[in-house]
Amino acid sequence: MTLRHSPSEERLLAYVAGTLSPPEAVVVATHLAMRPDADRWVKRLQQVGGQVLDDLEPASMGGDALSRTLARIDVDAGEAVAPPPLNDMPELPEPLRRLPLGKWRWAGPGVEVRHIEAPREGATRLILLRIAPGQSTPKHTHEGAELTCVISGAYATDEVRYEAGDFEEADEDVLHQPRVVSKEPCLCVAALDGEIQLGGWMRVFQPFVKL
Amino acid sequence: MVRPARMSSGREDLDRLIVAIAVDRDREAFAALFAHFAPRLKAYLMRSGATDAAAEEFAQDAMLTVWRKADLFDGARAGAATWIFTIARNRRLDALRREARAPQLELAPRPEDPERPDQLLEGAEDAERVRHAMKSLNPDQAEVLRLSFFLDQPHSEIAERLGLPLGTVKSRIRKAMIKLRVILQPSSGEGLA
Repeated sequence: MTLRHSPSEERLLAYVAGTLSPPEAVVVATHLAMRPDADRWVKRLQQVGGQVLDDLEPASMGGDALSRTLARIDVDAGEAVAPPPLNDMPELPEPLRRLPLGKWRWAGPGVEVRHIEAPREGATRLILLRIAPGQSTPKHTHEGAELTCVISGAYATDEVRYEAGDFEEADEDVLHQPRVVSKEPCLCVAALDGEIQLGGWMRVFQPFVKL
Repeated sequence: MVRPARMSSGREDLDRLIVAIAVDRDREAFAALFAHFAPRLKAYLMRSGATDAAAEEFAQDAMLTVWRKADLFDGARAGAATWIFTIARNRRLDALRREARAPQLELAPRPEDPERPDQLLEGAEDAERVRHAMKSLNPDQAEVLRLSFFLDQPHSEIAERLGLPLGTVKSRIRKAMIKLRVILQPSSGEGLA
């Protein structure tokens, strides 16, 4: 069986059900924006969700529910909601290019990060990572899971290569040190859960590297 | 009490109601759509553990979003139930996890997204296949799949509710998903994640 660089079925189901944390959901949405096949499958799962909703035994609504909702329509005149403006990286896939971005910051030799503002949940946060050709991220482990989607360029871990659109899920057991194998820098979006623990000599940077 | 919606409504009828809201801002169409979906949206949130009052509020909020975004509805892409499900799911994600300052997280496709030609063929006629596929699941598999759509921590909560070991729940979900893949995606060998 070939290794597929895609989210697991459970994770896709959780994405469709809306039970992933927002940072995780953004990484999955980025993957879907870049992989039409996976996106089609998720649309099927949304149809399953629609069917589940439609099959539910209706709950009884309060007698004034409709009139109260119509009154709210009167108040806001039913204006359609405008999409948020693009950020300064319009080349990003759709889920990312409308989320506010922090400043690029140094995070080790050849490694830059910038925060992406998505609703937070617990310690899970969302970052863009840009790593120079031939560079590795600092060797690190996580307290929780790390979800990554490659936006451009490519990186490799010990034996596996990840290219644009590929999705990787690394858990706390993995000592993770991806190395960029493309000629161009590798740009990734990652949802990090828990603290990153740097390994080896990079430990001296731990106080400075706030990923 | 609002009368419970009629049990069997034609899919196309529901789609047409949304179009009437988008094009004519038709309040009677909205009332009919509300009668069908608001009680189901309320039931959806109550299944995930919300109180009656919170679920009622949620159903009204979701239907208000349906009114606002009706012009984004495209029946060729997804039927009414699927579209309203995704609205409810985004609202739920939002309501449960919103930070006051954080921007609203919007993951639904936008109208300016170029429509891929292969998507145009999908949508409405698939609804029938999806119904068929769900009927093909055995009752145990169908139950865990349904619960997966309601609960925040699906595996552990399902295990608790049904009094099953976690491993059994996981394997039932996995089998249900494989079966759906086989039926809904016959041309692709992607079922082996």
